[in-house]
Amino acid sequence: MINFKEELKRYDYSFFGICSAIFIIGILNLYSATHSHGIGPEQGIYKTQIVWFCLAWVVGIGVSFIQPKNFYRLAYPSYLICIMLLIMVLFVGHSALGGQRWIGIAGMKFQPSELVKMSLVLVLARWYSKASPEQETGFRQMIIPFFITFIPAVMVIIQPDLGTGMLTMLIFFLITFYRKLKWKTIVIIGLMGIVGGTVMYNFGLREYQKKRIITFIDPEFDAKGSGYNAIQSKIAIGSGQFFGKGFRQSSQGALNYLPENHTDFIFAIFNEEHGFVGAVFLMALYLALFYRLLWLASNVNKMFDSIVVVGVLAIFFWHTIINMSMVSGLMPIVGIPLPLMSYGGSNLLTFGICCGVVTSISNARNLF
Amino acid sequence: MFGEDDLVKSHQERSDIIFNIIVIAFAVLLARLWYLQIYRGKQFLSYSLENRLRKDVVRAPRGMIFSRNNVLLTHNIPRFDAVVTPQYLESSDETVTYLAVILGTTPESIRKIMKRYEGQAKYIPVVVKKNISRKEVAIIETESKDLPGVSVETFISREYTDHDSGAHLLGYISEISQEKLPRLRERDKYDYKQGDFIGQSGIEQQFDLEIRGQDGYQFMEVDARGRARRHISSDDLYSGIENKVAEPGKNVRLTIDRDVQLAAYHALEGKDGAAIAIDTETGEVIAMVSRPAFDPANFSTGLSSNYWGSLVMDEKRPLRDRTIQEHYSPGSTFKPLTAIAALEEGIVNEKTTFNCNGGYKMGGRVFHCWKKEGHGAVDVVKALRVSCDVYFYNIGNKIDIDVIYKYATLFGMGQRSGIILPRETSGLIPNKEWKLKRTGIEWQKGETLSCVIGQSFINVTPLQLAMFYSTMANDGKLWRPHVVKEVFSNSGQVLKRYEPEMIHQFKISKKTLDLVHEGLFDTANAGGTAGASKGIGIQMAAKTGTAQVIGFSADKIFNKCEGMPFKFRNNGLFAAYAPAGNPKIAVSVVIEHGCHGTAGGPVAKAMVSAYLNKYYPAYQAKIMAQESAGLTYPEVVEDNRVNPVAMIPEASPEDFYDEQGVLVKNFILDKTGKRVPLEKILETGPSDGE
Repeated sequence: MINFKEELKRYDYSFFGICSAIFIIGILNLYSATHSHGIGPEQGIYKTQIVWFCLAWVVGIGVSFIQPKNFYRLAYPSYLICIMLLIMVLFVGHSALGGQRWIGIAGMKFQPSELVKMSLVLVLARWYSKASPEQETGFRQMIIPFFITFIPAVMVIIQPDLGTGMLTMLIFFLITFYRKLKWKTIVIIGLMGIVGGTVMYNFGLREYQKKRIITFIDPEFDAKGSGYNAIQSKIAIGSGQFFGKGFRQSSQGALNYLPENHTDFIFAIFNEEHGFVGAVFLMALYLALFYRLLWLASNVNKMFDSIVVVGVLAIFFWHTIINMSMVSGLMPIVGIPLPLMSYGGSNLLTFGICCGVVTSISNARNLF
Repeated sequence: MFGEDDLVKSHQERSDIIFNIIVIAFAVLLARLWYLQIYRGKQFLSYSLENRLRKDVVRAPRGMIFSRNNVLLTHNIPRFDAVVTPQYLESSDETVTYLAVILGTTPESIRKIMKRYEGQAKYIPVVVKKNISRKEVAIIETESKDLPGVSVETFISREYTDHDSGAHLLGYISEISQEKLPRLRERDKYDYKQGDFIGQSGIEQQFDLEIRGQDGYQFMEVDARGRARRHISSDDLYSGIENKVAEPGKNVRLTIDRDVQLAAYHALEGKDGAAIAIDTETGEVIAMVSRPAFDPANFSTGLSSNYWGSLVMDEKRPLRDRTIQEHYSPGSTFKPLTAIAALEEGIVNEKTTFNCNGGYKMGGRVFHCWKKEGHGAVDVVKALRVSCDVYFYNIGNKIDIDVIYKYATLFGMGQRSGIILPRETSGLIPNKEWKLKRTGIEWQKGETLSCVIGQSFINVTPLQLAMFYSTMANDGKLWRPHVVKEVFSNSGQVLKRYEPEMIHQFKISKKTLDLVHEGLFDTANAGGTAGASKGIGIQMAAKTGTAQVIGFSADKIFNKCEGMPFKFRNNGLFAAYAPAGNPKIAVSVVIEHGCHGTAGGPVAKAMVSAYLNKYYPAYQAKIMAQESAGLTYPEVVEDNRVNPVAMIPEASPEDFYDEQGVLVKNFILDKTGKRVPLEKILETGPSDGE
């Protein structure tokens, strides 16, 4: 029997706590980024975002009361459901901004590629914790997990959503690295990556995806105006200087110089308004979350739990670092949102579920 | 063997490495932010304040709409607006006063307009005067130094060659309202922008996504006051940026013939109603007119709210397309359907006669014939010719309403035709099941009697009526009516083609067809009710119809219709196909409150004349010979069989068109076969018929 009082006493509030803090900053920033549009469809989206947040937190907290052993059981079924949803998207999905990523469920639009991230983590954790967890991981041990990841990744890439596809591969690599991937293997994979990347670039990428990469490497080259985003984003961040222009004072976003300023470029608006100081503060919050996750990963009793926590870390970390890098011009522009800051319901839900899962694992830590 | 605890602990090393990676990544990122915000911060701040890169939308020109012979029906003309951007307005009073002088208004009125938009963001331009002259444009451009914050915005408005004619068919465009923007984006999966125009009815609405094109954009470097410095080209500082050329919309070629359309439009002058003509061999709509109409160009200038309001308030409802969005009791034009059903079902044959003494008694009630004195002995051909109600009451007494329903449905009545135009109504053909479901009351025998003469529940659109006559003319082929031939790009490449589509084909016995064809031929050519509409060289097979708008008590039925208040007067209907011996075109006309079916005769005549004169002039010579010889229908058919005339259009339509002369081309043939202008026949008003 679960004693509810006991349960609450043991409850780990740190994940939902840190994430809520980031979200509050995010929602203020979202309001600021969109308020000055005056008219138009973006006004008031912060309200929608709050609704999504409540939903995500209800779901997440619900998940936190599920026993970790059930995540283990759910791993394969949820993976299969994700694959089916991805197939559905390819045939019946709604398209937005040139990609076919959405499916409608009960009147709401939903991106299955978001669900893939979490279920992938569960499947990989289950596999790695069962198949010779005592050994180091070499090529042979990697083959099956690789394909487990590769199949949904490819399906996401052909939607086409290159960003999320690459992200799933990166999650796989971080988990595998944690599972003691041999250094020798890492070097070989690195070399293969360079060769494969070159081939892929020449044959596998869509025109606009290539353009983004070229734009990044050489903004002068850009032929169709996608360098515009990169330049405006840099101007937005740079003009924030040390203390920022202040709340609701962003001119880059307000004047619509920066398109999609409420989704992928929200970090630029944040930097414009709150400057370097704000950025340091925000990054400290993210770092606290990552630190806490890694601490938990080393202090659980089960290999499965440990890998799941690292997987959740991977999801958060890659989103954060890729988004911040691309906005500040360190990386080409791919459509990856900043966790808890960018507008978007599906990914909020993902992060809510992530929090729920790790909280559940943390709560179960000292139970025998 | 380890315990699982130890196994987890053994991964501590990797966990530490991962944390180090994270810290290093964040350090790099912070270094980057330091570089952007501290090291180059001042520079970027000045970029954001001074050098503004503005992305202007370049609106794509909407596609054009052409007639079947490539006559331009709708195109675009540029118009100019004077706009003020409040953000850049420095010495507000001075500028506004100067602008008022240029525009010939008062500073107060400009301020009043700007006050209305005070709530919105300052960088959004406010239109202070729409549709300014080219001279005003030139002054504003040259004086721009003294007019900070003032600029000219070009927009494209729509021009409709023939104004009201075809207003309903072509439709109109208007600006998308703020509230509708998100819903439309969702619906069409198209990124509509504020200020975009969208088709609101007719072809403009139905083909909007094809016609609208893809907007482009152009980068402008503007100074702190928002004045354009120069267009950004790829050699400049912001070389990452290039303009995107607007992609013009696709053009639409209709099946409409402009001359026939105009003939119908002018023939309907001063009347309320609808006229439609369709090709009996393809279902192509040749003309489609509804009146009263409106000038669609008035919507696209943006000066439309008053105009639109007056149209909406008008109780004659000029915005409604009466050809497909309104339905009417067909009256006697429905009788051929009853005749076909009765003949096919064996209820009557060619020899059956009924005696008409002016009325028909059933269940203690007298159903009157339109002719008080009665028609005497009447067979099916005569019944059609003189439109004897009693003959059809006799059928009505024997026929089941569901049989009428079956045949009417075969001819396309009571259902949407599927024409590719918005908001088509289905009309209504009743059956027993419908009545019971709708009212809870069983079908009454007396109702069948009203239905067989096209009254009571029976309601058809003018389009359906034309389809019915077309299907009679071509012996049972129901074509899907269509108004668009093709969609093509500016380079002339055809992107979509609409081929004739047969909805279905059904068998009607030759004997039945011959009888009905003869009846309709006689109606127009041998002293029948449509005799007044007989034209030279067109050989219509026709039927008139008079439909009561309200029920009258028995004593009022024979009152003079013209003596009644306008809105109680009967609707006049006229349906025909021509030439009777070898049909090419089917037409139907509804004159609201026209009192008599013959009211529509001149309109039908105008359409058929315009069409045959243009496409089959040689065949008209033959028709005239047949007319002067006074041939009966069987003789006409025999004559056509023995001496066939090639029925391919003889005039190349392109040769025939003249951009200027509209009415000159709409001639008819007079008794001597000479071409005379259309107006002549319009003078022959309706005479008492039916």
